[in-house]
Amino acid sequence: MFSRKYLLSCAAALALGAAGPAAAQTAEVIHWWTSGGESAAVKVFADQFAKAGGTWVDTAIAGGPNARTAAINRTIGGNPPTAMQFNTGKQFDELVENNLLADVDAVAAKQNWKGIIPPAILDAVMRNGHAYAVPINIHGQNWFFYSTAVFAKAGATEPKNWDDLFVQLDRVKAAGFIPLAFGDQKNWERNMFNTVLAGVGGAEGFTGMWGKRDQAFVKGPVFRKVAETYRRLKGYVDPASPGRNWNDSAALVIQGKAGMHIMGDWAKGEFTAAGQTAGKEYGCTVLSNGGGGYVMGGDVFAFPKPKNADVAKAQALLATTMMAPDTQIMFAQKKGSIPSRQDVDSSTLDICAQKAMKFVSDKSAQIPANELLSPPALTGAVEDIISAYWNDNSMTTDAFVAKVSSALASTL
Amino acid sequence: MRKHAKAFSAARLGIYGFLIISALFFLLPLYVMIVTSLKGMPEVRQGNLLSLPMAPTIAAWVKAWSSACTGLSCNGISVGFFNSVKILLPSVTASIAVGAVTGYALSLWRPRGAALLFGILMAVAFVPYQVFLFPLVRMFSFVGLNSSLPGIIVVHTIFGLPTMTLIFRNYFAGIPLELMKAARVDGAGFWRIFGTIMLPMAVPIIVVAIILQVTGIWNDFIFGLVFAGRENFPMTVQLNNVVNSTQGEREYNVDMAATILTALVPLAVYFISGRWFVRGIAAGAVKG
Amino acid sequence: MTMRIGSRFAAQTALIPAMLIALVVYCGSTVWTVWISMTNSRMLPNNTFVGLRQYESLFGNERWIVSVQNLALFGVLFIVITLALGFLLAVLVDQRIRGEDWLRSVFLYPFSMSFIVTGLAWRWLLDPTLGIAKIAHDIGFEAVQFDWLVRQDRVIYTMLAAAVWHASGLVMAIMLAGLRGIDQEIWKATRIDGIPAWRTYIFVVVPMLKGSFATATILMATSVVRLYDLSVAMTNGGPGIASEVPAKFVMDNLFERQNIGLATAAATSMLITVIAVVAPLLYLQNRAAARAAR
Repeated sequence: MFSRKYLLSCAAALALGAAGPAAAQTAEVIHWWTSGGESAAVKVFADQFAKAGGTWVDTAIAGGPNARTAAINRTIGGNPPTAMQFNTGKQFDELVENNLLADVDAVAAKQNWKGIIPPAILDAVMRNGHAYAVPINIHGQNWFFYSTAVFAKAGATEPKNWDDLFVQLDRVKAAGFIPLAFGDQKNWERNMFNTVLAGVGGAEGFTGMWGKRDQAFVKGPVFRKVAETYRRLKGYVDPASPGRNWNDSAALVIQGKAGMHIMGDWAKGEFTAAGQTAGKEYGCTVLSNGGGGYVMGGDVFAFPKPKNADVAKAQALLATTMMAPDTQIMFAQKKGSIPSRQDVDSSTLDICAQKAMKFVSDKSAQIPANELLSPPALTGAVEDIISAYWNDNSMTTDAFVAKVSSALASTL
Repeated sequence: MRKHAKAFSAARLGIYGFLIISALFFLLPLYVMIVTSLKGMPEVRQGNLLSLPMAPTIAAWVKAWSSACTGLSCNGISVGFFNSVKILLPSVTASIAVGAVTGYALSLWRPRGAALLFGILMAVAFVPYQVFLFPLVRMFSFVGLNSSLPGIIVVHTIFGLPTMTLIFRNYFAGIPLELMKAARVDGAGFWRIFGTIMLPMAVPIIVVAIILQVTGIWNDFIFGLVFAGRENFPMTVQLNNVVNSTQGEREYNVDMAATILTALVPLAVYFISGRWFVRGIAAGAVKG
Repeated sequence: MTMRIGSRFAAQTALIPAMLIALVVYCGSTVWTVWISMTNSRMLPNNTFVGLRQYESLFGNERWIVSVQNLALFGVLFIVITLALGFLLAVLVDQRIRGEDWLRSVFLYPFSMSFIVTGLAWRWLLDPTLGIAKIAHDIGFEAVQFDWLVRQDRVIYTMLAAAVWHASGLVMAIMLAGLRGIDQEIWKATRIDGIPAWRTYIFVVVPMLKGSFATATILMATSVVRLYDLSVAMTNGGPGIASEVPAKFVMDNLFERQNIGLATAAATSMLITVIAVVAPLLYLQNRAAARAAR
């Protein structure tokens, strides 16, 4: 009885929706931005979309995997949302291959994406010459954030390179602080490993391992050094780190209990929320042995094949709005990221973002993020090995190398 | 007053001692959740898990219920509560109805294919049901059931079937065959025997079934997420949004309040009907 | 006579919903799962046959092996402890004590809450810098190092503690129901014979509660195989891969890792194991039932 009534009301709503002109611009968007800062960022999109004449229907689901599960299952099940979030990279490859996504070529051409978006980020949404997603922002994944107060007390200075890093960490340690705040969960273990891989192994190493699955590199001396450096970092984290959330680790730096934290630039949201300013209470830097080495990822929105012209219109409006210059800059301010468009006025962003803009403008300073290079299956398989290596002191570096090499070779 | 009251011996002291210590162990997590939910964030940050709140406040509860944000909507988990109820009532009814009829047919009528069906159900009881998620999405899209209230009800009926059938089958198996024979001599058929004799006799086990299904369906997250559709997201989806926000400061007091609020329905069911639960199991579910 | 046939027919019809679910959903899904496990499917299923390569990759996967070992260790300990504790609690609650209703509810309530809900509270309690460890320090036991939650070789026992907390009450309810069904004459008889109560429990009552033990064992075993929420909520499999379990392996690969081929290979392996254990038991039970009916 109940369900029939419900169905009827649904049908009525649908009928009304099809008839009313307003419904033409309604967009249901699935995303996983549920925290305070993230919600504020999403609100920018929703408000701008409303200003452009659309209605934003928000489906927020905490946790990337949860949100993607729901979005993908709905798309396969024939009831797709208007737009859905992915990380910049390979997560939506097969949706494209199975012809489930609509391209956004029209918007890309109109806004001249080719001229204004860094090639690495643009390439990540292109498949067979068509753009299949809107690259809304750029996140740097290998930042070092440090507490200026703790560094002052410990007599430490901003590290200049990887060798210097350990000098500074030792100073912080000697002063009785936690040298490196770490939220010891699998994905952050991998992110930290990637930070070392980018810094010590360089761009060739990073793309060699994740992108080309280069056996020679993985078995070579540079990778060995990466692994050993990574393990060396373990001496600087506190014993309570396993299982800790990354934001709780950032909080340790904010509260002056720890010296440093390795994280993507979304961590700035935590500092901002605590009333701290980049360049004052905390500093930020990216470390590499050869300069550059900025690991670049981000978020995109993809659009399932529309069922009718109204949905297609809403999708086009949404894509256009998300990439509009003012939306881009307002969104980045809230999110901690930088705009994917390089032709916007970024002077209102903080100094860490200014540094990031510099990296992004220099192609030689960039490394495409993990998600851009490897499919989730491979990322996950190697992540397990990195995690085991970090946590199990009895695993030798030789064993680690052998396991990584085998995972690169055997993951289908 | 009763005779055993005199024996407040060492043995009884030991029994009470053990039971009280066990009770404390069982209550500890709930206690932590409750006191945390009554604290303000500054106090939570100090990290004294077990201390009573210095300045008890229900602010976290209010926020969890009515203003905690999930994405852009800041309506707390109250919306999900009503969705959960909407899912719960028909799902519990449907799953128990199908389970009871199947159990009755299997145990007392043994129609063709009964053994096979029972074998399949037993095996499925051991399979992590997430495995069925993906094929089910495809099947549902084929029949147009995805993202709807009927869809989620069917899902709960499907996954409640093994347990429900099992307990009803065991229960009815314990009913004296003479009763069946007498009824059939009187000319009663399959459905009449079920409706007039078996169902009234099955009240204790129906209570058990209700308790199990209310708990299971209310606590479900993944099916609700995938099959209910955004209009019908159950409370657990909202809870997940509140509790597992990946970024931003975690308001543990709000998390805990939201958690207790979400658990309130099954908790109430257990505390109110614990007595009948044991009685129901005693009435027949134990025959392996 | 016609009535009989009508009823037979009705009985057969009544089974249709269950049959449909069993054949279409359960069997259909299973066949599909087995087939996909022999393809190279990643995010979406495809039909590129690769033979048993997913299985090779599965059994060469350290995390899967650790998951299986964890489940075996956890499963045995969990079943033994919940049965023992549940039985003990039931016996004690059955001693005509005061507040029986209240105690029963206290032991039973954890079962009403999902781990998604209670995992956080457990993590706090077991956290080496908060919870139990902190209390011990605060009352003067500085030497207490309670860091099992973050130790690879011990983390599985912290999951065990939470799982026992969750399920013991249910076992107690089942056992209590069994105890209440026992003929009171037995107690009189043993008392006259001068047999101490504990011996009566072990040598007379336990064998009589065979059915209760069987039911409880089956219920506990199903929850062991399905173990997933607890691992996700308490440790997310960590530290490292020390507390991973098979169902989590399946789920992670099914969705987050977009590796359906491997996930279905793992699911199929679990299914085969379950059938290998359950089928003979069912067969024996069926035979026993048939003999009893004769």
